[in-house]
Amino acid sequence: MATILAGKTALRLRLYIAGNAPNSLLAISNLKAICDEYFGIGCVVETIDLLVHPARALADSIIVTPTLVKVYPLPVRRLIGTLSDTNQVCLALGVK
Amino acid sequence: MTRVTARPKGDLAQRLADAEATIEALVSGQIDAVVDSKTHTPVLLAKAQDALRESEERYRRIVETSNDGIWAIDGKSKITFVNQRLADMLGYSPEEMIGKSFSEFIPEASEAKAPQRFEGSRGISEETEVKLERNDQSELWVLLKTSPIRDADGAYVGTLAMMTDRTRARQDEEALRKSEEQYRQIVETTTEGIIKSDSSARILFVNRRFAEMLGYDPREMVGVSMFDYMSAAAKVIALDAAKRSRRGVKGGVDTTFRHKDGTNISVNIAGAPLFDAEGVYTGNLGVVRDVTEQKKLQSQLMVSDRMASVGTLAAGVAHEINNPLAAVIANLDYMAESLRHMIGGDSTEVSPAKSTAWVLEEIKTPLDDARDAAERVRFIVRDLKMFSRSPSDEPTGAVDVKAIMESSLRMAWNEIRHRARLVKNYGAVPGVRANEARLGQVFLNLVINAAQALQEGHAERNEIRVSTRLEGDRVIVEVADTGAGIPPEILGRIFDAFFTTKAVGVGTGLGLAICHRIVTDMGGELTVETEIGTGTTFRVALPIARKDVVEVAVPDEPIAVAARRGRILVVDDEPLVIRTVKRILSKEHDLVVTEAATEALALCASGEKFDLILCDLMMPEMTGMDLHRELSLVSPEQADRMIFVTGGAFTEKARRFLSETPKEHLEKPFASANLRAIVQRYLR
Repeated sequence: MATILAGKTALRLRLYIAGNAPNSLLAISNLKAICDEYFGIGCVVETIDLLVHPARALADSIIVTPTLVKVYPLPVRRLIGTLSDTNQVCLALGVK
Repeated sequence: MTRVTARPKGDLAQRLADAEATIEALVSGQIDAVVDSKTHTPVLLAKAQDALRESEERYRRIVETSNDGIWAIDGKSKITFVNQRLADMLGYSPEEMIGKSFSEFIPEASEAKAPQRFEGSRGISEETEVKLERNDQSELWVLLKTSPIRDADGAYVGTLAMMTDRTRARQDEEALRKSEEQYRQIVETTTEGIIKSDSSARILFVNRRFAEMLGYDPREMVGVSMFDYMSAAAKVIALDAAKRSRRGVKGGVDTTFRHKDGTNISVNIAGAPLFDAEGVYTGNLGVVRDVTEQKKLQSQLMVSDRMASVGTLAAGVAHEINNPLAAVIANLDYMAESLRHMIGGDSTEVSPAKSTAWVLEEIKTPLDDARDAAERVRFIVRDLKMFSRSPSDEPTGAVDVKAIMESSLRMAWNEIRHRARLVKNYGAVPGVRANEARLGQVFLNLVINAAQALQEGHAERNEIRVSTRLEGDRVIVEVADTGAGIPPEILGRIFDAFFTTKAVGVGTGLGLAICHRIVTDMGGELTVETEIGTGTTFRVALPIARKDVVEVAVPDEPIAVAARRGRILVVDDEPLVIRTVKRILSKEHDLVVTEAATEALALCASGEKFDLILCDLMMPEMTGMDLHRELSLVSPEQADRMIFVTGGAFTEKARRFLSETPKEHLEKPFASANLRAIVQRYLR
């Protein structure tokens, strides 16, 4: 199920996960921490469980989980992994 | 798989950083699942890892439980993996080995190429036998199979090696080789020939000794049919023996092989049939003994035994001859005395009437007696002659067992008559295939044995019974005595050579052994039946001679009146014979006589012509045979007119001469009628 964080939509993200696999859970919590700290309500994150919606993997050419895709603003970027390197993630999301 | 795409294109540095981040995430295990590119379903990585672990576990178990030792070495010759089996084989623990260079496990004395073999020449899969060194410095031989390990680009990164322990196998092989070597030594150094053939008699193996026996090299003989080294007769014997041995009959066979130089070698073959694991006949193995020398020795022994037999009988024979000889001499003396009386003194007054009765009384009767007595001497000498023949004389045809038994009985009569009554029970039997002299030796031996089994002096109480009868295709001759019998404990040994119960000097211990040999050689059988206290019977069974070799007796010729007066030359070194011949023939023919063959030759050479030349065969200086040869050169027509007179052909040469020449010969002693008959036949 998609979880929509409230607030001004400054950033749209999609996080592709595989159920409650450890790395996926880690990615969710890491992403939440980053968003809370840097984007607040202006960040919309759609979390897609590929075990539930496998067809979505095809749509975004997802090969592995967890994968984070920055949908908005352009350019589209994708990050693979548990998102534990905060600097790296911020860099990709255009913070700083 | 680690593709990171950016749409639209961002700056290069950013994309590079993303890619690096992605790679790091992948490498550091931050991935959960991989989306299958065909089904688009995510495959959880944890499960994949489990599967991998399982698969790895499976391989690990295989590797650890393998009977082969396994190690892996890297590109720097270090051992990166070793299974328990290989560690056990070498006497280490796997931990002790990992990280070490594999060369530490190769003995220093190993060949230079050994390390290369372990690295599989860094690329090529190989299979070789190499030597390792155990913890305790002992040798470990392994069959080594290597296969190279390559990275994704195909570069050499190490070698996987599987090793099968060959130490035990090599020891077994060595033991087998040594054992084979030992057998080969035995086979090659034995004095017996050894031959192995397949089911079609083709030679598979011969040892050096057998090849030498036949004058070949062993290599020449392999693959050749065994029958190529045999005469037709020997082949028949060999085939028969092989058939018998396949039926399980044990024992050797006497036969011959043909030597490279064409001569025949007498051998004894002890053969055994060979069968494969399924019991199928595959050929024969034969141990061949050269018995040529043995055969020679045997025939010498036979001669010596016969001489011994004749020797023991010499006294008896002398006695046998002396009796009739006494009658001859006494009667001749008596006649001479009577004639002296008639010629001298008042004999002039003999009346004609008295004369006929007187001549009958004083001359004719003693003369007839002397003639009869002399005839007996002739028989005895003929019997003796029979025993003096060489055993090498082949049987000339059917032999009359009754006649030979009679001769033997006459020879042994002096032994028999004081001990037993002689009972003869001759059934009508055909001739047998045998050699007269040898059969005579057998019968004489049996008769003497029978006589010696009896106590002297009770002739009326004991009996020696000889009999002949026909049984199937065999003639049975039995010699039975009523003696004490043969004790069972020695019965089994009586046919053994040198076994005797007689006192030293009485018997040689060869008699029965040789009898047995002779009878067996003739294709017959010698058996014995005995009962303690009742007596013993020896039985000789002999094969009947084939019909076509039965000799036809020549009937005595009627004495014809001389057809014409002939001119005859008599050559004999014995003046008594010359005078006698002259007396018999000179009334009817003109005789020229000489005691020397040389003189006879000179006469003929000088142009003298004779209708007939009566020539003695055996003479000193020049023999009758020499004269014949010389005469054939100077006057073949005269040589054709020779008739040989012989007192017995005592030499091999003389026997051969007589058997080869078509000319008739006259045996001494001869009756005057025979002499006149043969002369007249030639003058016709």
